[in-house]
Amino acid sequence: MPDDAAPPLDLAGCLERVRQRDQAAARELVDHLYPLVIRIVRSHLPRRVAEEDLAQEVFMKMFTRLAQYQGAVPFPHWVSRIAVTTCIDHLRAQKRRPEFRWADLSENEASVLDAVMTNENEVAANDAMASHELVHKLLAQLKPDDQLVLRLLDLEQKTIAEIAALTGWNQSLIKVRAFRARRKLRKLFQELQKKERS
Amino acid sequence: MSTNLNDPRHPWARLTSAARTVRDDRDASAPYGFATRIAALALAQESRVASLLERFAFRAVGVAALLALGSVALNYQEITTTGSVAYAEEEFLQADDAVTIVLDLAAD
Repeated sequence: MPDDAAPPLDLAGCLERVRQRDQAAARELVDHLYPLVIRIVRSHLPRRVAEEDLAQEVFMKMFTRLAQYQGAVPFPHWVSRIAVTTCIDHLRAQKRRPEFRWADLSENEASVLDAVMTNENEVAANDAMASHELVHKLLAQLKPDDQLVLRLLDLEQKTIAEIAALTGWNQSLIKVRAFRARRKLRKLFQELQKKERS
Repeated sequence: MSTNLNDPRHPWARLTSAARTVRDDRDASAPYGFATRIAALALAQESRVASLLERFAFRAVGVAALLALGSVALNYQEITTTGSVAYAEEEFLQADDAVTIVLDLAAD
């Protein structure tokens, strides 16, 4: 039987049963929310942290704080916020950020970066994966909060309001962080261009 | 090179545009046994916290009862004599009270 045929989970009922310490309901809840949590974890995964460990931490926090959930926002949104804040906490814990060096790039990544900095053509479709890696390496140069804002804005194309809902930060703060992050990234591109020329 | 990162000609805009086309084909379903492990851990953690609280609460009640009994035992003599001391203090105060003296004189 295909998964699509599975009946939708009665989230409210499931939460009620979890509150009554029903282990089967807790399992159902984890299975239901896992794709959402793992997607967030994978897109914000800090270095040297296993995605399953981080997902486990998110779910443990979810269960610990379940009594605080008042239903003001949909439950998946509430869990998304826990996932995002858990990732950002891990990113903040990693004080050292790897230096971005041409020498550390793969041949393909270096040629893609060289191409986008020297001409104005679109990146070729078969270089999408290299671009993806480059974007993540460039973002890793920024502070964790700045990384998060740019990743959500430029990669996931979320709106300021969506980011505010996801992070709990106010919209002005997000705009300031985006501005600051872009300024740093611009500087980084200028340095890369100089290094390349030299 | 354009200096505005939002400019579609800027390298950043072109890189992110290409990066967005990469699809994440990794399996997003929970690994086998993951949900069972999390559910067991979460519910065990809750009961551990509850039993810890209960244990501390019962201990606190016991310690409070012992302290109360101890303080009664230590001050037993004081408690039993408090009545007579209070009466003596009242008489002493009345004797010193100017109003009482004046009233007493007036009565005489």
